[in-house]
Parts: sequence; C-alpha cells; structure tokens
Amino acid sequence: MFKLSFSKQGQFCDKISRRNVLTLGATSLLGGLSLPGMLQMQAVAATAKPARAKSCIFLMLEGGPSHIDMWDLKPNAPREIRGPFSPISTSVPGTQISEILPMCSKIADRFTILRSHSHADNAHQTGRHWVMTGYKPNFPDGQAKGIPFNEHYPSIGSMVSRELGHRGAVPPYIEVPEPLGPGGPGFYGPKYAPFTIETDPVEPTFLVRDLNVVEGIDENRFERRRILLKRANALGAGGRGVGRAKTMDTYYEKALEMVTSPAARRAFNIQGEKQAVRERYGMTSIGQCSLLARRLVEAGSRFIGVSHGSWDTHSDNFTGHRKALVPPTDQAFSALIEDLDQRGMLDETLVVMMGEMGRTPRINKDAGRDHWSMCQSVILAGGGIKRGAVIGASDDTASYPTTTPYGVQDLLFTILDLMGIDPNKVYPDSLGRPVPLVTGGQRIDELIA
Amino acid sequence: MCTRNMGMIQLRLISIIAFLKIACLSLVVVAAPKVSPEEFTLVGPESTQQLVVTQDTANGLIDLTHNAKYRSKNEAVAVVNERGIVRPVGEGITEVQVSSSTGTKLIQVRVQHFVDPQPISFRRDIQPILTKAACNSGGCHGKADGQNGFKLSLFGFDDESDFAAVVKASRGRRINVAAPEVSLFLLKATGELPHGGGRKIENGGLWYARILRWLREGAMLDEPNELVTTRIEIFPTTASIRHDSGQQLQVFAIDSDGTKRCVTLEAEFISNATDIAEVDSNGLVQVSTVPGEAAILARYRGQVSVARMRLPQTEDVRRPMLTNPIDTLVWDRFSLLGIQPSELVDDGDFLRRVYLDLIGTLPTVEEAREFLSDRSLDKREKLIDNLLSRPEYADFWAMKWADILRVDRERIQSNGTIAMTRWLRSQFANNRPYDEFVTDVITASGSTVSESPAAFYVVHNDAEKLARSVSQAFLGVRIECAQCHHHPFEKWGQQDYFAFAGFFTGVKQKKMGAQAQKIGDGPGQDLTHPRTLQKVPTAGLGAAPIMVGEDLSRRAALAQWMTQPENPFLARMLINRLWAHYFGRGLADPVDDMRSTNPASNEPLLNMLAERFVEEGFDVKKITKFILTSRVYQLSVEVNQSNELDEQNFSHARWKAMPAEVLLDAISQATGVNESFNGWPDGYRAIQIWDNRMPNYFFRIFGKPQRVSVCECERGTEPSIAQALHLMNAPETMTKLRSRQGAVRRLVESNLSEADIVDELYLSTLSRFPVAEERELMVSVFEEPASNRQTAVEDILWTLINTREFVFNH
Repeated sequence: MFKLSFSKQGQFCDKISRRNVLTLGATSLLGGLSLPGMLQMQAVAATAKPARAKSCIFLMLEGGPSHIDMWDLKPNAPREIRGPFSPISTSVPGTQISEILPMCSKIADRFTILRSHSHADNAHQTGRHWVMTGYKPNFPDGQAKGIPFNEHYPSIGSMVSRELGHRGAVPPYIEVPEPLGPGGPGFYGPKYAPFTIETDPVEPTFLVRDLNVVEGIDENRFERRRILLKRANALGAGGRGVGRAKTMDTYYEKALEMVTSPAARRAFNIQGEKQAVRERYGMTSIGQCSLLARRLVEAGSRFIGVSHGSWDTHSDNFTGHRKALVPPTDQAFSALIEDLDQRGMLDETLVVMMGEMGRTPRINKDAGRDHWSMCQSVILAGGGIKRGAVIGASDDTASYPTTTPYGVQDLLFTILDLMGIDPNKVYPDSLGRPVPLVTGGQRIDELIA
Repeated sequence: MCTRNMGMIQLRLISIIAFLKIACLSLVVVAAPKVSPEEFTLVGPESTQQLVVTQDTANGLIDLTHNAKYRSKNEAVAVVNERGIVRPVGEGITEVQVSSSTGTKLIQVRVQHFVDPQPISFRRDIQPILTKAACNSGGCHGKADGQNGFKLSLFGFDDESDFAAVVKASRGRRINVAAPEVSLFLLKATGELPHGGGRKIENGGLWYARILRWLREGAMLDEPNELVTTRIEIFPTTASIRHDSGQQLQVFAIDSDGTKRCVTLEAEFISNATDIAEVDSNGLVQVSTVPGEAAILARYRGQVSVARMRLPQTEDVRRPMLTNPIDTLVWDRFSLLGIQPSELVDDGDFLRRVYLDLIGTLPTVEEAREFLSDRSLDKREKLIDNLLSRPEYADFWAMKWADILRVDRERIQSNGTIAMTRWLRSQFANNRPYDEFVTDVITASGSTVSESPAAFYVVHNDAEKLARSVSQAFLGVRIECAQCHHHPFEKWGQQDYFAFAGFFTGVKQKKMGAQAQKIGDGPGQDLTHPRTLQKVPTAGLGAAPIMVGEDLSRRAALAQWMTQPENPFLARMLINRLWAHYFGRGLADPVDDMRSTNPASNEPLLNMLAERFVEEGFDVKKITKFILTSRVYQLSVEVNQSNELDEQNFSHARWKAMPAEVLLDAISQATGVNESFNGWPDGYRAIQIWDNRMPNYFFRIFGKPQRVSVCECERGTEPSIAQALHLMNAPETMTKLRSRQGAVRRLVESNLSEADIVDELYLSTLSRFPVAEERELMVSVFEEPASNRQTAVEDILWTLINTREFVFNH
C-alpha cells in the first residue's frame, strides 16, 4: 500500500511540511526519484526550521512584575516615578539593572533583556490568556473561573507538546506548582494538556501526583500488579486492540515507564539533588520549581511552565519587591541560568521569564504600582537567544517603548521558531476553522544570536 | 514545487499499477475506452480541458486517464500532456487521439478567441487562482490580520476588497501596470522575491500568463454581476475504485451566460475521509486499503459539488437473518463494500455496553448475575425496556443535554443551572416528544430560576450567538462559518446567517433579583447584512421568509418551522446524535456538521430513521429501542481481517471513551465506596452533579466539558498519560480499595472461596464471568508468598479497574 498526503497541501504557508517530506521519502523509492534527491528535499525541510532550543522553561510571574523597579530603571525620572531603587552595574559593561537583583547582575552576560514588550490588555486573566495563547480572549476579565481557562485556544505549552512530543520518560508539557490558568490545551483536547504537578517542590513532603506508587505498595508488589494487568489484558477483550483502546495501551506503557523508569523517577525526585545545589536555587517555591524544571529538561520534557505569584503590588510595591518577590526570583533565575550553562544545556534550553504585564510608572497613593501592559521587560536566555544583550528601550518614564514595540504574538512566534516549530502551522478548530499556532507576529530577529 | 514533484511520482506509480491491471484484464475486455468530454471548445489562450478516460470491464468501470496515450493531430492548435490535459496553442480545430490497449478514440477540439480573447475578469479568472494557490487561506493572507501587510478575504468571498488589496493598498506597490512582469504580486507568487509562502505560481505557466494579461490589460475590476458561475458539475459523480488505484475527476463551471468550461485545475478538492481516499490538487483521487466511501468535494467560486468514491473489498458477505430494517440497510452496505462484520457480542459485554450507553451506569453484580442466567430469548429487549425506565436514564441524558445546551454555572449561577438541569431530567424521565422539547427550548420564557430552559437565553445573550448555537445543536448546520464569509463547504452565506439570526432579535431579558432573569419576547426586527447594508428578511435555513405578527413571536415562528415534519434538518440531526452516542461515531461525522458535502456513510439508513422518528411522533425512547435492538448495535468489538480497518460502516463495535463522570461512578461502584464531592451529600453520583464548575482533578483529566460550546466535541475522548497514571496510582482509588466499607473488605471477610471472589470481582467490573484461564490467573494471586487475602483482592480489583475492558465502553 502506498499513500500520499495531498489534501493538506496548500493549506500551510510553509513550503514543505515535514510529514510530506517523510511521505515523499517513502514513496520516492518506489516512484523513481533518486535517493540523493530525496535527501536533498529532507535537507531543505530540515534547514528551513532548525531547532535552536529543544526545551523551554517558561517562568510566569503572575500579577505583573515591576519592570521599572527591576530591569528598566529610570534614575532620572521624577521621584513619583523612579522609586527608591538604584541601578547597579552588571557583568555587561553599560547594562544596568536594579540593586535588588544582585545575583542576576553578575550573570547578565548570559541573558538578554527585552525592554520593549508591549500589549494592550491591562487585566490579569485576559492578559495572561493573551500571553499564553497568542489570542485575545472573548470574555471580560475576572469572569474565567475554570482551570484551565483558555477554553478555545491552546496554550504555547500545548502547541509545543503537540509539535515536538515526547523526548524521554517524562511528559512533554509540565506545569508546576499549580496550573497556569490559561495553560490548557484548548481545542486540542486533553491529549495535549499539561501534566500538572499540583504540589510545591519546596515542600519537604513533595510528591508528584499519581507518579509515586501509593504507600504500602512496594516495588515488588507494583511489579506483580504490572504483570497481572498485562496478562489480564491479554486474556480479555480487544487483543487486537483498535482505536482508542490501542492508544490507551501505549499511554499505559508510557505511564508505567514514568513510574518505573529510573530516569523519570530521578527527574522528579528533587530530594535527591545535592543540598548545595538546592540551596543555590533557594529553598523557595520559584527556586525549587526552577531546579525541578532543569531536571525535567534533562529528562526530556519540552515545555515546563512555572507559575510564581503574586506580583500584583497595588500597595507596598517596594517592600513587596525588595523583600518577598525579587530576592527568591533573583536567586532562582540566576541559579537556573548558571546551572544550565555549566551543564552545557543553556544553548539548547530556552528560558523565558515574564508576567502578563508590567506596572505603572507612576506610584500610587498606597506606595503601590498598578497594571501597565504597554511596557514590560521580558528576560530571555539560551536556546538561540543572544547573551548579554539589551533589546529595545522605553521612554523616560518606562511608559512606552521608544523602539519597535514587540507584542505577544511576536514573542510566541519567536519561541516557536527557536524550537523549530512553524508558527504558521494551522489546525482546524472544532468548527473546522483553520487556526494558525500564531496569528500575526514576526520573529524578533534582534533577540536571536 | 513540492506538489508537482509528488504529482509526478504519484502518476508514475498509478500508471505502473494501472498497466498491470490492464494487462491482466485485456483478455476479457473488448470495448473501446470512453473519453469525457467527447468534443469540446477551448475559449481564450489560458483555458484547459482535463480529459477523463474510462474503460468498462467485467469488474466495473476503471479509470485509464493516467495510462492512456495522447496525441494532438495539430500541435499548432492544441497540445495535450500525459495527464490528459489539453491546452490551446492557436486558433482552429484539431483532434486529440486517445489510445489505450483496448482501442483508440478521436476527440474533436476547437480553439476560439485565442488571438482576440475577452479581457480577463478579476472575479472569474483571477480570484479562483488566489483561492487555489491558497493565497487567501486561513493560514496565509486570508487570516483576519492578513500576512505581512497583505490581507485577502478568506477564500476570496469579497472581490472588491481583494481587488483593492492587490491593486490599491500600500499605494499600489504590489502591481506595476507599466512593467507587469516586475509586479511585486507576480514576483512574490512565483517565489522570485523571497515569499514566506514559497512559490505558489509557476513562472510562465497558465496562471502566470493569465495574471500577466490581466495586468497588461490595466488590472481592472469587472462589474459584479457580469460573469456569475451558477453551479459546478463534477464527473464522474460516483465511482467504485479498486485498492491502490485511482480516479481522475473533472470539474465544469456553468456560468450565467450558459457557457460550460473545464475548471479542474482551478477547483479545489477536499476528501471527507482521507483514510479511505485522498485527492490531490489536480483532482486525482487515490484510495488506500480501508474499505468505505469518501465524498470528494470540489469547490470553485463559492459553488460546491460532490463525487462519491467507493472503495469496496472483494469479499462475499454472509447475510444472517435480518428482521430489523436498520440491519437490512446496514448489511446492504456491507455487501456493497465487501465487509464481513464482527460476530454478535456475548451477553456480558452486551449487558455492560447497554447499561453504560443508556444509563451511564455499570450493572451491579446482582444485575449481571440475573441477566447472565436468564434463559429467555427476548432478554436483551426486556433489558433495554427496563433501562429506559430507570431514573439513571434521565440523569445521564440530562447531563448529556446540559453539555449541549451549555448549562454553565459560571453564566447562569447555581439557580439557573439547577433549574435547567431539573427541567432536562423531567424531559427524559417523561420521554417528552422531541418536537415539544425543542419547541420548549426555542420559545422558553419566564423566570430563569423556575424549572425551564429559560436560562438558555442567558447563556446565549444575543441573537447571533443564539442563531449559531441553535443551528449547530438542533439542525446540525455550522452556520457560524457564514457570519463573516460564505460557508466554505456549503451553500450558506451571510444572507442565510442574518436571516436566521433574525428569529432571536425579539428576545427580552429582565433582571429579577440577584440570580434570576425573566425571559420574554418583544417585536424584534430583521437584521442588516454587514456588506450590502440591506435588511435581510428573517427565514429558516433554505426556507422562505416568515411572517411574524401580533399573535406569533419570532421564536414561535422558528419553533414551528423547525418542528414541522418536513423540516430537513431537525430529525436527521437528532438521529445522528443518537447514533453517534450508541456507536461512537455518527452516520455523518462529525456529529453536528451535516451537509450535502459531508454525506452520511449510509444515507438511506439516516433517512429511514429520521422519517420513522417523525412518523412515530418524535418519540425518543421508541427510536432508541429500535436502534438498540438492531443486530448492528449488538456486534462485538472483536474485529476480523475483513473489517478491522473499517471506521465508517459500523461493521464492528467501537471502543468508546467513558465520559469522566461515568468512569468515576464505575470505579466507585466497583470498589463499593461512594465518591465524596466537596459540599455534596453522600451518595450523589457524578452523573447527577449539576455543578459543571466544581473543581475536580478526575473530571479535568478525563475531559469533562466546561460547557463553553454546543459541540459535543468539547468533551475530551482521547486518552492521555495523566489518565493512565491516575488510574494506576491515584491515592483516592487506593483509599477506596482499602476502605473498611468497601467491596474488597466485604469479600475478604466473607467466606467465599478464592474462585468465587474472582467471579464477584469480574462481575462487578466487567459484568461477566471470567473464563477458566482468567480465573486461574487471578486465583494464583492468592497463592503469591508475599500476598494475603486482603492484598490479593486489592491487587485483583486494581488490575481489573485498569484493564482496557474496564476503562472503555466496548
């Protein structure tokens, strides 16, 4: 039997889809196209979308971190805008960041600050929906109560999961320590949903839901059960297993692999990490989540979404940033980048740290800063991103970008592109309408090394 | 580039196979090949004609188009390529000689207006190119924001704006009338300048020539009504194709001036069943080894037509005694397609299936024992009757319809959710005739907190949302697509969309306290077409405008139109929904996308069931019983060599995903421990929980819908790793296994023998007795040195809950 895939031809913007190349490869041997010719076609497809990043760690600072107090200080702005923090020098001559980020300042030569991110949704839920899916939601802010709340459009993690799939014993898309809100699969369905670790790795009792065999079931007993299940399935209906049942069989195999494979268990067993390393990341939620993320990347996960809150500092913004919010983040982020780099993983691991918005330049009456989506700093590292660059700039009060503003779609486009995924790829939604992974948006070339 | 290369490879392959076939068949074949068309005229220099060559054989018609030999008698008038495509070269008349191993045919070709062609029409000649080359597709320039600054209307539904985008936008930079060859429009399309979409049009080809001539003629836009294509014809409309073979299609456009011209190269082709047959962009259909029928849609200038390509197997199908008219029609299909269906399902699996399908509940051990020991011949029928009268039937179907009608606490609060759920439950408990049920939904009025479907109008709070949901949920028409553009696969356009939405313009909502609204009717008005700005008279889909007046609200008029026996949509949609529920796939698939271009896999069956349903007074239980007592419903999931690839003809039962609620209830029942839902009294079952927003990990990973869409597809049915992990390792399940009140403890403490315990466990999970080998396997668990009676029973029940027989409805 031979089979050619034509029906999808012309629906995509890219010239040669991978699937077609593979199908073509198979048929051409029969049809007479020379092997070198086929290899050449494969090379075209391969070089069309080279993957710079194999995995992505996405640190979501929920609530909106204050860009003007962290990454984009305006020491010459009036008092009611600049705030109490002073800029300090970094390991990159000429680049300054806030004094509350001392650890990041020492490794500034390894990440890049994008100071001209800007979008026009000033609310938490709707803004986060936009940031995580690339699509503006059609519900008003504050009305989404379900988890996940991206009911229609898939999140970036689900897109990556769908396109890249498994690379090891761990799930391709993982959320920790709680669901990201709009991190769900949308119309892709549960198959591309994140595996959500709803406990915090900083807890001494940290256990991944359903991964560890229940108390009282030792390895021997689990192994006995595994064999028993295999035999019972073999004797029962569906030996030839077609359709969903067959798919479920393969998921059972993968799940068993997760439970039994040393690689997967090791990845999740953060307690097994050297104490010094754990402490370098910080015994905090974001610290241990970042460390877990690194371990999951090692085990083959494609996209790890870490949520960290709550950055919504309408009052006491400065105390909040100086004490509770920034120090653990400074420590975790710098440790993550250093650790990845030391292990030679940084070049193929993309790290993105951002919130759904920045915060208002003008300080309010409660010493707080309010929502400000028109200007935000996004921190990126590894996976094909320049090292030590500052891209874009904002005006005197960090209110608006003065260089090309880059929006949500540009950022998602860039992430997918770096991961070797065509952002223009289209899937039909439940109505059969074609939905591109990213609508609009262009690669932010300035970011790319 | 890719398309062409692949096309060539494919052609070579087809010719080799076809050649082999002809070589074998030629001994018995005598007739000369048939060529369509037998004579034709090519008008203008960029026209083409695709020939289709067929041969009558003992085994039916076969396609020879791609292995016949073609020769033009006068290459100064017309040339023909090896694919049978004829192209004009100069004015005059000539003949094309078509030869196959069985004979030769001469086809007269006339070429007119080669030197004095009519000016190019943007609407007729350019737009189809932009569509066919996918320039205006949803992934490219047809996106809402366009692509890189160049925006076309999706599928080219708006000629004026597309003309402006090409010719005028960006200060006219895309075209250069003075030097047409260097127009950006052409350079990008041919890939001579970097183009994200790559090369879409071949430099020097016919499309190139046509665009170039249009630019040379001044890049004008013709008048809107000058050259309308009134319909398209596809040839052949049906064909039976043998495995690993193909069929070339031909598409003709019939214009308003009566001309008929070949547009095969400009039409788009889409197969509705790519696992059975795929079609390439030139209209060449290729089949796989999966038996069945694919509908190939051809689309050109908004007109659609369908060819049905059948792929039979050669098997002789045994026909058992069939008494149910459903089975007669189903077995007709099996015979036609040469598919030998599976055997009848045995009692235990039938019992489990019909419980799960009808009442979303597992049979208890006692129920299973009783049914299995019953020796009467009509016990399956009696069981169906019994289940139809169970209260769980109402619970389960109320849950299903609450998904469809989007009974969502987030939108209608607890009171509205309870009101609608109660109303739904009483509809199914009382077997309300479906036409009355629909009328109640369509005309619902009064308080949203009293038992009624009134809150449907809070969930859908404007006329257009209502039109979209009602059309999809009750009529199976995805009219939503026609909101912004002509439906790409159907006749529906914006006119139809706004005509239908007009029914809901009178809906009035009045606030009555914190959680209640009152729904009523005002006069309403006809809606305005967003492009023509004309009022669109309110009308049912494809129906004449309605008259509304004092004594008839707009919604009441809609309900009348929907529920009249002649309505072409309502009964078919419900039948398809029921069929999809019981068989895991609709007769038309997807379940709520019913259109002439997506025909049912068994149209006579769908028609018969829909007619019968109407004749029997829209009696849902009666038609349900009729379906479930058929032989086809009672086939096994176990496949044979003949039917294992069949997906669309119901020759074997499917492995259906259990809804999250049903699976959770099944685990609770099998372990003998109720699930406790936060804030709910003990004993509530998951299928009874009206609160669709209750946080629950199990519901989330097993795909319980959030009720944001009327599409049943919102319910996740695909398995995942998280599900497998949860079924194996969830502490909640472990707790149930170990519970002092649970089934395990009861069995451990009983004085039943080990074999009897195993029987009990099989009955409680799989609703059947174990076979000898299974019993032996499970009894051996007790003998493990590391086991005791408690752990052995835990392990066996754990194992059974994790078998695919438990996790799926089969």
